[in-house]
Amino acid sequence: MDERAILDHQFTVAAYAITWIIQLAYVAWLGFKWRAQKRNQDSRGQRL
Amino acid sequence: MKRLAIGLSVAVTVALMVWGFYQAIYVAPDEQTMHEVQRIFYYHVPSAMVAFLFFAISLCGSIGFLAFRRNRPEWAQASDAWALAGAEVGVVFCTVVLITGPLWGRRAWGIWWTWDARLTTTLVLWLIYVSYLLLRRFAAGPQMQTLAAVLGIFGALDVPIVYMSNRWWRTQHPAPVFGGGEDSGIKDPAMMHAFGWNVLAWLAWGLLILALRYHVERQNQKFAAQNAQQALDA
Repeated sequence: MDERAILDHQFTVAAYAITWIIQLAYVAWLGFKWRAQKRNQDSRGQRL
Repeated sequence: MKRLAIGLSVAVTVALMVWGFYQAIYVAPDEQTMHEVQRIFYYHVPSAMVAFLFFAISLCGSIGFLAFRRNRPEWAQASDAWALAGAEVGVVFCTVVLITGPLWGRRAWGIWWTWDARLTTTLVLWLIYVSYLLLRRFAAGPQMQTLAAVLGIFGALDVPIVYMSNRWWRTQHPAPVFGGGEDSGIKDPAMMHAFGWNVLAWLAWGLLILALRYHVERQNQKFAAQNAQQALDA
């Protein structure tokens, strides 16, 4: 593999990895938000 | 039944993502001039397409909110939730576009960024929708949803400008994949298949998180309404 091919490979891997990091980080944040919301609702239901 | 449908949607989406990845990395041939780095295209372009679709959903939600806010409050709240979900998930996909694009550009053009029409209008689009999300996060009061809806409509006006930018102006960005004339588009059927599968996979993924974001926002609205009612009753 020449240097150009190695760099091409690294940039491609970086693009794919960053895409997945962004998407999964957003889904994780959404999941935490959803869980916190459910917890709030449950504790509110117990108070009523 | 609902749980089964959700489980099935997740399973289909994961299968599509794996299949799309396999097609993009192992099946699609190397492009002759750009070689391996061209494979970034299989994530970059579908992400842009899904971002545009979700900004369009946000536009419909914003228009719906303004149309229903006086006579159908429940519809207005649902429209507002779609507007927010579309904008937020759209920003996520647009962020992917703005990061994967320069990674490709660095190898293909030798530069990370250039202020050409396609890149600049995409950055402006992202900034408008980030402003929209900041407005929703930090503005308070009953007018917030109305202001956000107006900003959402203005933001969506940039989508056709981004789409047409490399037709209207001479740009460094590659020609459009679809509708760009005889010299543009994907010629190799294997590349076209890989591209098609990835469009389908990212669309399925996007719709799944859009539905989840909508659900969270609707729950949030109901919770806020209950709190307001309790405060009035107390």
